[in-house]
Amino acid sequence: MKDRSLLVWLLLIALLLLLVINPLARLLWASFEHPETGAFTLGNYAAAYGRWRNVEALINSLVVGLAAAGLCIVFGVPMAWAVSRTDMPGKGLVWAAVLGTFIMPNYLGAVAWILMAGPNAGWLNRIYTGLTGAAAGPFNIYSKAGLVLVIACYSFPYMFVFTRSALDLISSEMEDAASTLGASALRTTLRVTLPLALPAIMGAFIVEFLEAIALFGAPALIALPARFQVMTTMLWQMFEFPPRLQVAAAYSMPLLLITVFLFWLQYRLIARKGFVSLTGKGGERRMVRLGPWRWVLLGYCLFVTSLSFFVPMVVVLQAAFAKAWGRGFGWDNLTLRNLRFVLFDQTATRAATVNTFVYAAAASVIALGLALAIAYIVARRLVPLGRALTYVAMAPFVIPGIVLAIGFYAAYTAKPLVLYGTAWILILAFATRFLPIAYTNSDASLRSINPELEDAARILGGSRVLALRRVVAPLLKRGLAGAFILVFIPATRELSSAIFLYTTGTQVLSVLLFDKSDEGNFEVLASMGLILVVGTVALVLAGFRLVGRDFLLRRTAS
Amino acid sequence: MSRLVLSEVSRRFGSVTAVDRFSLSLAQGEFVSLLGPSGCGKTTTLRMIAGFLPPSAGTIEMDGRTISAPGSTVPPEKRNMSMIFQSYAIWPNMTVAENVAFGLEVRRLPKAEVRARVDKILDVVQMGQLGGRYPQELSGGQQQRVALARAIVVQPAVLLLDEPLSNLDANLREEMRYEIRRLHDEFHITTVYVTHDQAEAMVTSDRIAVMHQGRIEQVDAPRALYARPRTRFVAGFIGRTNFLDGEARGEAIVFDRFEIPRRAFADPEALRGRLSFSLRPQSIVLHRQPPGGAGPAAVVPGAVTQRAYLGEHWDYTVRPAESALALRVTARPHEVFEVGENVWLELDPRQMAPLLPE
Amino acid sequence: MTSIRMRCLVALLLLLGMGAGAPGAAFDGEKALYEAAKKEKELTWYTAHYNSETAAAICQGFEKKYPGVKCNYIRTTAQVAYQRLAQDQKAGIAQASVISSTDQGHYTKMKQDGWLQPYKPKNLTELVDAFRSFNDPDDLFVATAAGLVLITYNTSVVSPSEAPKKWTDLTDPKWKNKVSIGHPGFSGYVGTWVVQMRKLYGWDYFKKLELNKPRIGRSINDTVTMLNAKESIVAAGPSATTLESRAKGNPLAVVYPEDGAVLMVSASGILKNAPAPNAAKLFMEYLLSREGNEVMVQQHQDPVNKHVKPMAGGKSIAEIKTIRPTPAEIEKGIPEVKEQFRETFGI
Repeated sequence: MKDRSLLVWLLLIALLLLLVINPLARLLWASFEHPETGAFTLGNYAAAYGRWRNVEALINSLVVGLAAAGLCIVFGVPMAWAVSRTDMPGKGLVWAAVLGTFIMPNYLGAVAWILMAGPNAGWLNRIYTGLTGAAAGPFNIYSKAGLVLVIACYSFPYMFVFTRSALDLISSEMEDAASTLGASALRTTLRVTLPLALPAIMGAFIVEFLEAIALFGAPALIALPARFQVMTTMLWQMFEFPPRLQVAAAYSMPLLLITVFLFWLQYRLIARKGFVSLTGKGGERRMVRLGPWRWVLLGYCLFVTSLSFFVPMVVVLQAAFAKAWGRGFGWDNLTLRNLRFVLFDQTATRAATVNTFVYAAAASVIALGLALAIAYIVARRLVPLGRALTYVAMAPFVIPGIVLAIGFYAAYTAKPLVLYGTAWILILAFATRFLPIAYTNSDASLRSINPELEDAARILGGSRVLALRRVVAPLLKRGLAGAFILVFIPATRELSSAIFLYTTGTQVLSVLLFDKSDEGNFEVLASMGLILVVGTVALVLAGFRLVGRDFLLRRTAS
Repeated sequence: MSRLVLSEVSRRFGSVTAVDRFSLSLAQGEFVSLLGPSGCGKTTTLRMIAGFLPPSAGTIEMDGRTISAPGSTVPPEKRNMSMIFQSYAIWPNMTVAENVAFGLEVRRLPKAEVRARVDKILDVVQMGQLGGRYPQELSGGQQQRVALARAIVVQPAVLLLDEPLSNLDANLREEMRYEIRRLHDEFHITTVYVTHDQAEAMVTSDRIAVMHQGRIEQVDAPRALYARPRTRFVAGFIGRTNFLDGEARGEAIVFDRFEIPRRAFADPEALRGRLSFSLRPQSIVLHRQPPGGAGPAAVVPGAVTQRAYLGEHWDYTVRPAESALALRVTARPHEVFEVGENVWLELDPRQMAPLLPE
Repeated sequence: MTSIRMRCLVALLLLLGMGAGAPGAAFDGEKALYEAAKKEKELTWYTAHYNSETAAAICQGFEKKYPGVKCNYIRTTAQVAYQRLAQDQKAGIAQASVISSTDQGHYTKMKQDGWLQPYKPKNLTELVDAFRSFNDPDDLFVATAAGLVLITYNTSVVSPSEAPKKWTDLTDPKWKNKVSIGHPGFSGYVGTWVVQMRKLYGWDYFKKLELNKPRIGRSINDTVTMLNAKESIVAAGPSATTLESRAKGNPLAVVYPEDGAVLMVSASGILKNAPAPNAAKLFMEYLLSREGNEVMVQQHQDPVNKHVKPMAGGKSIAEIKTIRPTPAEIEKGIPEVKEQFRETFGI
């Protein structure tokens, strides 16, 4: 009298293993495989790490990653605190700007930043020299610091979201307890509020670090002219003529080890302290009154979002509508020619635009469906050893996109399953890449539903499937719509895995944009970037309409 | 005929045994409570009856048919039971009427009949006007009534209740106890009721099964359970009590600094060796003078060491002379004694319940 | 109707005006090939020869001339195009029918690996004579594109008199932090240029250039972005993209170096596993044809058909001093200079 749905669960688990374990296993296998003979060898590791240049690139990645993640804390945490716990004005604007930043692809931002902070002619430097009369400006985007800044600009939204949702859960009573003991508001914030949010901040730090070292677009645009290499640009070169998949596989192994170590570290650090207050109900929350300081805080928030969104957007808009962007602003320099070209003349853009949004949507649906099923299997203990599935579902988190793409490439270009050349390899790679986001959200949404609601349906005579359909699904709808957007947005701008896996007819905008970035035609590049950003914003706004406001950074009322 | 029979049912989670050889039979229309502290296995037992958990050993039968055994368990939806959950589990995405109608729709009843039965049951639980409301718009007590209506409307063979009142405030809790009993008297559904609140169990139940560490300590009607607890745990868990340890020596039972003749007890022949008794505080009477008159009662001198006035009664602590015992005594409001005052304690040996050795 | 299409149309009308008997307007067996190509419906072209606007214009011109045969292009740098192709070959996937790389070495390797199939285009008779030496003796690939690497500069910062006149001027300390070049690890154009510079001046040229801390992009086209942004003000840049950007109104100009503009001749070939072999042959004919070259010229590319004149603003290749390494030198030299370049410039 077994549950008839068991077969479905087992199939879904098989799919999960296929998506996550198979590419990684192939990658590991390839790293020990002789390129020609296929025999076991350590030669790939020697080739990958036998050269100082390659080791140096690894070190550069680590340094840039740590610095960028640190800068994300500086950017994201004060903003999260301001929005979550203070009476700062203009929260809606700040929120919208963070959303805009989240949508903006890092490589588009990097191009804008090159124009803003190029050492010789960047706008910022020209303003500086104009004001001071100095010979040269202080800003140089072509440097490690410049790369760190650009990466931090486009990854701090994770820090913001993680920290904010943690802060949202801390009851004011916690702070009151400190203030009754005589602590000032600042002291309370620094000693009580922020430490309580520490696990979230640490988790976000690791995510930011991984994001930074796995990034391909911005480093390719900035690191090379700045005369240094990072791991991802190195990996990229290993795929050039002649391609060395096995060496690339070997080269990416330490990256995996580092990330696994980091997550283990986070687990250990959090496990030791009690952070129970975070799991409890929110309790009453009052906003900290900042007085005149609230304007200072707003200024800071707008400063950060100007760096990440407003000013780069001005640059992109200028170029997209300019006849010749080198001529700067001017009515006579305006034209719709570039947009018309990318929208109508260049058939590739049109196809790529459709592909981008269709693949992102398909990947989001697959990732969410799978994540939800796995979270359900784990939560309801439908199979033995279910907890292990959590780790599998979260594993893509520790795989940089470019490494995942190489794994996918290794796994699905040969029999029995040839997906290379079809849209599926991109969709599945995107779905796998963002599975952890989907899983975390599904798990949280599922946890917010008391299992008794489902039990109640069953004891009244409903099957498990009916209970899922009539009770669980309607209740999850809202939370999952938010999760959908959280997967959908990064999938629209995903470059690092797409660049390896696309073929004719499966191009997406990110790839087109990246290819465009070395053509010397920035007007067209900016127009395509604009289409990507505007298209995503339109879809996200449509999403708002469907499920109600504030789902991206939401906190479900409990 | 027994409707529901649990035989030697056990449930283990890893190395922990949550329910240990649990056996109980419920007659048709009987209302039985599983009473015990949290972690005693009562909810696990209930969830095994519901079919959410298979037993590790033992069987559960309904109307002579095995519905649960290790390795083959009829799923919950095939048991014709209904259950009321601690959280009420009212579906927030459906109105009150939709919630109540769910079980009937699953049973594929005609629409008109569904509506008629929903209306009727909502009237019974005094929610007739609120069918169109959503659960969030209801008070806790109203949600509780919806849960009751939803469970009863399907006319289940067995009704299961899992701590249904623990989320209500004190006054409402008291009201709902009587409501639950009233509904049982009206519908006569065989009911298993899980609670850790002895008053709830006593108001609602025909019989109470007291559970401790996964086992049944005692199953009895509420009065018998109170008057004749069989174990120290039951005596302590159901109401307040005094424990008296003594020893049978010849014709007397010897306690700390006093003794009571064996023949004064209800079942004198059974008393042997070292003994423990439970004696309720209201079974002790305090006197200023030694009470006169013959009778089976034992009289012991002592002194008041502590007192509290609780409005409905006095709560005294009295120490028998030269004894280390501290006996709790409940006295009526007009029976006033000062702390330190010498008193006479009148113990009724017939009300002293002998406890099974530990 | 777009301006590009408009211009194509004008070009076509002009051709028609010249008379139906104009040489090269059609070739032997065109009709049969077109019919066969129509059955294949579409072809895919991996190209590193042009930027995507030009690739798009060529595809559109082809589709216009041969309705019913769709032309898909993937435009990337040479190395990426090859990488794509290598991925496809390894996966046993036939995507591309025509490959146009700018890296001579790729063709030798593809020939070795047997990825190409022979075809001798009928229109080869109209190829500029100077480019014939780049054709494969076994007809596996033929020259279909030409371009120049020359000195480019931003006219809003640099006056024509100040601008460098020859390649060695780029090492003048006055251009410190102001020079832009591409990377031979990415671009075949840049690789050829580096090989030629090494041939002329020895590797010392790049050691001196390094003292000026040039801004290094990936593609040779990156120099156009650098100049437009005024991030660099002089560059070793491409003729076509620079002139095209100039035509839009960007403040750019080109200098034909006294010591010679580096001539890039790039070949195209048909893949052995081409899913559309007939369309591929038809397309090769188009790349060499007059119509095809008119389209290229409209996009500021240099023509390879000897009957087509370059566009105003740029000089005809015949008029200027050009220098170029031999195919053998390129093939041998590029892997060497990639390594040397990485040593000298650190990336």
